[in-house]
Amino acid sequence: MNGKVMVVTSGKGGVGKTTAVANIGCALAVRGKKVALVDADIGLRNLDIVLGLENRIVFDIIHAMEGRCRLRQALIRDKRVQTLFLLPAAQSKDKDAIMPEQMKELTSELADEFDYVILDCPAGIERGFKNAIAGAGSALIITTPEVSAVRDADRIVGLLEAEGIEEPKLVINRLRPDMVKRGDMLDIEDVIDILAIDLVGVVPDDETVITSTNRGEPAVLDGVSRAGEAFRRIAARIEGEDVPFLSMEAPSFWGKIKRFLGAGR
Amino acid sequence: MVFEFMSRILGRKNRPGSKDLAKERLKLVLAQDRVDISPQMFERLRRDLATACAKYVEIDAANMDVRFDSGDRTLALVASVPVIGTKRDSYNSRRRGNMG
Repeated sequence: MNGKVMVVTSGKGGVGKTTAVANIGCALAVRGKKVALVDADIGLRNLDIVLGLENRIVFDIIHAMEGRCRLRQALIRDKRVQTLFLLPAAQSKDKDAIMPEQMKELTSELADEFDYVILDCPAGIERGFKNAIAGAGSALIITTPEVSAVRDADRIVGLLEAEGIEEPKLVINRLRPDMVKRGDMLDIEDVIDILAIDLVGVVPDDETVITSTNRGEPAVLDGVSRAGEAFRRIAARIEGEDVPFLSMEAPSFWGKIKRFLGAGR
Repeated sequence: MVFEFMSRILGRKNRPGSKDLAKERLKLVLAQDRVDISPQMFERLRRDLATACAKYVEIDAANMDVRFDSGDRTLALVASVPVIGTKRDSYNSRRRGNMG
């Protein structure tokens, strides 16, 4: 198999990289693809707890790299979606424990077995970032409609270009339609206009992301989650499907009631 | 107090959204980020530009506005230089002086 190696990055921390990796990866796996999620944030392991797999870790990425276990042994199979796997980060080491060259080898080995290898990149532009992008063939940039996140995303676009990763795709996360309507939040067009890269999805700010993360279940597995629906559409677009963008209208009175009933389940 | 309350509500309504300001600020800062030029270098560019302009017209150097502008990942150097007067007269008189 010759899978796609994709890095999910943002520059700024806290914009939803890990959530995006968990959800997009899970959605691709639900579509029947074989997916490996790699937590490249060495020392700040997080993808495991977002996916609800934190109690099943025996070996991690560093063990696999140092040859203390086989790569296959370090991969944890998801309990709900059989084709989804996690390669967890090491919690005790730091980012200097890996070299970009090693990461390249590891991701290409994974790409032999999987349709998609998705890397959760740490925040920042230092060593951890350079490691995470080393083996990537494509990139998803996550941003929120805030000046700080968009500025950092722009820097990332430049750095990816310099590394030869062309045409990164943009995900705008945590959009609040009510604020956009008031003219108090950067709109989708504003962000695209500024960053000048292709949009692959817009995810509304949605409480179900927090509640589903609390449970360790990606929102894409929740049928009523708006954010989950947005992530499913991103997965479809990554697969080359031409799906319409989720409507970002401010929720109506009935919409709010429906959502309230949905969230109460 | 009632008036204050009312005007606050109305004022809020009339105030343009904060996103336009966000976009404008972002565009300017990104242009600066993308050129990756140091403030010292930029100041030299500004000064040289003023000197160059001043050779031909009389300018108000203190009020000139020089900045980088960006769109679609391209860059432009945009300068607005207030002209106080032309130097045609002094230029012509100098020429006459040289010929004489």
